[in-house]
Amino acid sequence: MIGLGIESTAHTFSCAVIKKNGKNGKILSDIRKIYRPPEGEGIHPREASRHHIENSSIVLSECLQEAKVTIKDIDIVSYAAGPGLGPCLRVGAVVARTLASYYKIPIYPVNHAIGHIELGKLLTGAKNPLVLLVSGGHTMILAFLNKQWRVFGETLDITLGQLLDQFGRSIGFASPCGVNIENLASTSSKYVPLPYSVKGNDVSFSGLLSASKSIVLKSKADACYSLQETAFAMISETVERALSFTEKKELLIVGGVAANKRLSEMLKDVCKRHGCKFFVTPLKFAGDCGSQICWTGLLENQIKKGVSLEDTFVTQSWRLDSVTVNY
Amino acid sequence: MNIIKKGAEADIYTTKWQNKRAILKIRKTKHYRNQNLDSNLRKLRTIKESQTISEVKSFGIPTPLVYFVNLEKTMIIMQQIPGKPIHDLSNPKIISLSKQMGKLVGLMHKNGIIHGDLTTSNFIYFQKKVYVIDFGLSHKTTKPEDQAVDLRLIKEILNSAHATIMKETWKNFLAGYKSIVGNSKYLQIKNLVSEIEGRGRYATVV
Ligand SMILES: Nc1ncnc2c1ncn2[C@@H]1O[C@H](COP(=O)(O)OP(=O)(O)O)[C@@H](O)[C@H]1O
Ligand SMILES: [Mg+2]
Repeated sequence: MIGLGIESTAHTFSCAVIKKNGKNGKILSDIRKIYRPPEGEGIHPREASRHHIENSSIVLSECLQEAKVTIKDIDIVSYAAGPGLGPCLRVGAVVARTLASYYKIPIYPVNHAIGHIELGKLLTGAKNPLVLLVSGGHTMILAFLNKQWRVFGETLDITLGQLLDQFGRSIGFASPCGVNIENLASTSSKYVPLPYSVKGNDVSFSGLLSASKSIVLKSKADACYSLQETAFAMISETVERALSFTEKKELLIVGGVAANKRLSEMLKDVCKRHGCKFFVTPLKFAGDCGSQICWTGLLENQIKKGVSLEDTFVTQSWRLDSVTVNY
Repeated sequence: MNIIKKGAEADIYTTKWQNKRAILKIRKTKHYRNQNLDSNLRKLRTIKESQTISEVKSFGIPTPLVYFVNLEKTMIIMQQIPGKPIHDLSNPKIISLSKQMGKLVGLMHKNGIIHGDLTTSNFIYFQKKVYVIDFGLSHKTTKPEDQAVDLRLIKEILNSAHATIMKETWKNFLAGYKSIVGNSKYLQIKNLVSEIEGRGRYATVV
């Protein structure tokens, strides 16, 4: 079974081809083009969607070429139907619909967040993990129970990705700013106390964001360091709470912020205390990519025939805990 | 001393205090976080916990007696409640005890206390009584927003860990809560809970 997956929820337009054999999946190609907003600015949905339209055909053909397949070899096509930015989502959906109707390929709308989790499981071999999903769009702690991913903790306001990006932009980095902040933070070890806000299994980052902005005048490096230390400690603590509560024996980190080494280092230590195995999605597949969509579509294909073209929706705020998982 | 639980933030041991069975709760250094931040948090929470656990007794919340506090070691020795966390009880039992949990939370809010960590592991059922434990994240406030965040927490836990009985437990919990705080307060807080859920939970990707 060979699948084609299309991702276009936010910055990234990506197509991937995966060959599935029983429980195994082999990524044959995963091509991406990433929209970069002007320095110091956030994403403009319409600009991003224009970027995606302009790049869609080249990404698609490169992806098929690298996988050494033609469109005739594709058994199913999947696209990210949400959550994400409306104009961006629609680009992926249009490409998928066009292929599906012209070449008569079954089509699967996929939840982007579930895609992160499923791809993480495929690539790390985690079986029954507590999942930390940290990206621009999500900050959630999840466990699978009774056919659904259940939320055990999440942010009450902005996400970890938004915290890093909004802070990074305020000191002149171009978004996504995670890597720049991580690098600058590693040059300091001076901790400036900042608001630490853990509410049970939930976190709140908005107070931390404004307090961090107010200390940058003294030293940007100290601000980056203190911001990371505080935010990641908050995340680690809530993960620890959820581990203790659910007694899961595996932790899996997925989403773009999973690439951060300091965060991983802290969570490894958390796992040690709880006798828990630590898994993190490999760097190359932590951020948004076609593979996450492609693989989830292939899993859905085990139990579903695909949807008719009239049902190829996009939903900007499609919650992953509203999705029933039957495969 | 036997370790019985690696809790959310502390290690829990059973021990003896003047020949009575007791619980030793110790917040050990977490090496993963900055050591300034770590020692501040551990100290602050040990203080909060030992204060609130006794304070809420005065208005009728069953809690363990505090025997001994060592701030330097961020450790508390307290009475052992030899029952079971509500989390570990059968579904019918959890459903019927939800009303009592709601009442206890209502009583705390009415008296200006936010628990801060409302999970089904932090209520212990013993001899037909529900005890409340784990006050490390508690604080004093009567702000409706904070009370709503407190309720949202337990709702999140019911909706995840107890998903199959979410509807009944949440209904009973709210009924208990309302019976203590009164109808208008109840409606105010319930609306705020929905509003808070709308913020983080349904926020779109940016
Ligand atoms: N006084 C007590 N009596 C009986 N069991 C207790 C007591 N205190 C804690 N426990 C047990 O230990 C677990 C963790 O304790 P808790 O105070 O909630 O620590 P944490 O803050 O780490 O969650 C509880 O869920 C309960 O099972
Ligand atoms: Mg506890």
